[in-house]
Amino acid sequence: MQIFHIRYRNTQGTLMRILNAASRRALDLPVVQAEPAEHDHHVTLTLDVNQKQVGQLYREWYSVADVIKVSSGAAHAAAWTAPHPPAGVAIEDSRKAARA
Amino acid sequence: MLKGADIVLRCLRAEGVSLVFGYPGGAIMPLYDALEGSGVRHILTRHEQGAVFAAEGYARVTGDVGVAMATSGPGATNLVTGIADAKMDSVPLVCITGQVRSALIGTDAFQETDVFGVTLSLTKWSRLVRTIDEIPEAIAEGFYWARSGRPGPVVIDIPTDLLKAKKEFSGPVKFTPHARPADAKADGGFTDTIVALLQQASKPVALVGAGAKLSGAIPELRRLLDDLNIPTFATVHGLGAVPPQSPYYLGMVGMHGTRAANMALHETDLLLVFGARLDDRVTGDPTRFAPHARIIHFEIDPAQLDRVRPCDLPVIGNLADTIPAFQAELRRHAVPDFSGWRAVACGTERAELDPRGLVQPTIRFLDELFSRQPQDSVVLADVGQHQMWAAQRYRSSSPRGFITSGGLGAMGFALPAAIGVQLAKPDTCVLCVSGDGGFQMNIQELATVHRLGLPVKMVIIDNKYLGMVRQWQQLFYQRNYAETDLSDNPDFVEIAKAYKIHSFRLNEDAMREFPVSEDTGDQIDRFLRSAEPELLVFDCAPEANVFPMVPAGAALSEMLLEEESTQ
Repeated sequence: MQIFHIRYRNTQGTLMRILNAASRRALDLPVVQAEPAEHDHHVTLTLDVNQKQVGQLYREWYSVADVIKVSSGAAHAAAWTAPHPPAGVAIEDSRKAARA
Repeated sequence: MLKGADIVLRCLRAEGVSLVFGYPGGAIMPLYDALEGSGVRHILTRHEQGAVFAAEGYARVTGDVGVAMATSGPGATNLVTGIADAKMDSVPLVCITGQVRSALIGTDAFQETDVFGVTLSLTKWSRLVRTIDEIPEAIAEGFYWARSGRPGPVVIDIPTDLLKAKKEFSGPVKFTPHARPADAKADGGFTDTIVALLQQASKPVALVGAGAKLSGAIPELRRLLDDLNIPTFATVHGLGAVPPQSPYYLGMVGMHGTRAANMALHETDLLLVFGARLDDRVTGDPTRFAPHARIIHFEIDPAQLDRVRPCDLPVIGNLADTIPAFQAELRRHAVPDFSGWRAVACGTERAELDPRGLVQPTIRFLDELFSRQPQDSVVLADVGQHQMWAAQRYRSSSPRGFITSGGLGAMGFALPAAIGVQLAKPDTCVLCVSGDGGFQMNIQELATVHRLGLPVKMVIIDNKYLGMVRQWQQLFYQRNYAETDLSDNPDFVEIAKAYKIHSFRLNEDAMREFPVSEDTGDQIDRFLRSAEPELLVFDCAPEANVFPMVPAGAALSEMLLEEESTQ
């Protein structure tokens, strides 16, 4: 199980789109907790996912119009807490991987 | 004071909209009531699905946002297939739906559906408007999301009482998006990595998808490909992006791609992807897709990365920015010599798309049509065997010249989409190729074609089967042709006549001569150059099949080249 934290603007449908990214992959949603967080909102999800799904979920959540930030306790998701590759530091990872 | 309906139309005009497609009904009547004098022309289709596909056709050929309107309940749900289609194929689309009165929402009122909920997973963005004050912002934001990044569909649902209400209107508003982490772009540092990978490669190839057209970066892409001079192929939505006469171009790739393209993709050690999603119709078995290759993926939407197979170097951003950056770096280095590899991949042994093309009358017929149509014609293909034959034989270098429902594969798409294309390009030859199954899914739009006098050239490839399903039944279900027999089709020529549209029939025997007889050639020429709508029904052999074919779940290298291969 992995815990994901998503910060978002609480506009119509944003939370549903966040949940839909998981439900369309037939992932169970055993824990969902959404609450206000300063000027925005915050939802915590606990999901049973594999590494590939972690990457897909991060990218899909970031494609939702009012999602601000996605983070996770999953060690293998660390690369996705930075801006998407190849921007910023992630380009270095991609570059090293590509040259390996 | 303006009514909500007038505000909607003023805001649409502010977004540059002059044409909308739709079908009236109870909840959206106030908007229809306000149309006259608004500067927005409304095209009445005969079904809401026709309206949304027509709006898609308009958007696909122009690159502008297509707009469809429908009433609540069944009107809105009839838009859903088109919305899904726009999502899959990255089409900028705004659907405006009427909703029941605000006070009735949630009561299962007459013609109430939760269109916001129904379309939530199919849209980039959507809004159920709650007050008249929200209308300008909702439209501005909806158009922003429809156009931005990877384009897509938007739904704006407006209760009928808000369309009738009045308020002071100070003018349309501009939407300014918040900065988002997902807006990160390639920082330019990727270019030297690509050049390094290119220098290490011995069998590089390039794959071009719809993103090349959507980005408007066709000239930049063509210059880059000329510099690279490596075997290149396209997805069905990438057709036209690369001039087919280019010596390095191998045609379409994927399930019904050319032998040369699929073999090159299987053998490559460096795959450059320009704006393609790499879906299963392109990759075949993902575990055996480009098995020896490193993948460099140029893509505007990070959500499209790594869906099927991880890429080695993602290059996020608009191709109009990333391609010139790559090319500038490339020109600072000597491009490696890949002539040996190119000679193999593009050699004559692999070159013929389908040797049977010379004897397959339907393919010969499409070749005749495509070779005789005026330059810059637009070809629309519906979904099925004819779609793949048309894609295989398409030879134009017009980037927006081949339009089809590629991702969703929605039968019934082509005829209404052709209406949208013809309205956008009134002086262009618009050739709409359908099968007998798909044509009947939106056959009612013949009335729209007739009413508007649109000179759409409609072709039905009539094999009296749901041909592609039948082909799979033949190849993989022991010829159990379950529910694919359409031998009791109506007489399409007579049906067209009932809609007051000129129509005629060609038998495939007319294509057995090569070259075709002067009489047949004249018939086709007259058809293509007529100023009126026309329907040509081409009688096709019932069991003609599309080859090459990569069976579902097989690797691209395991394509079937002809029927005997399966027996």
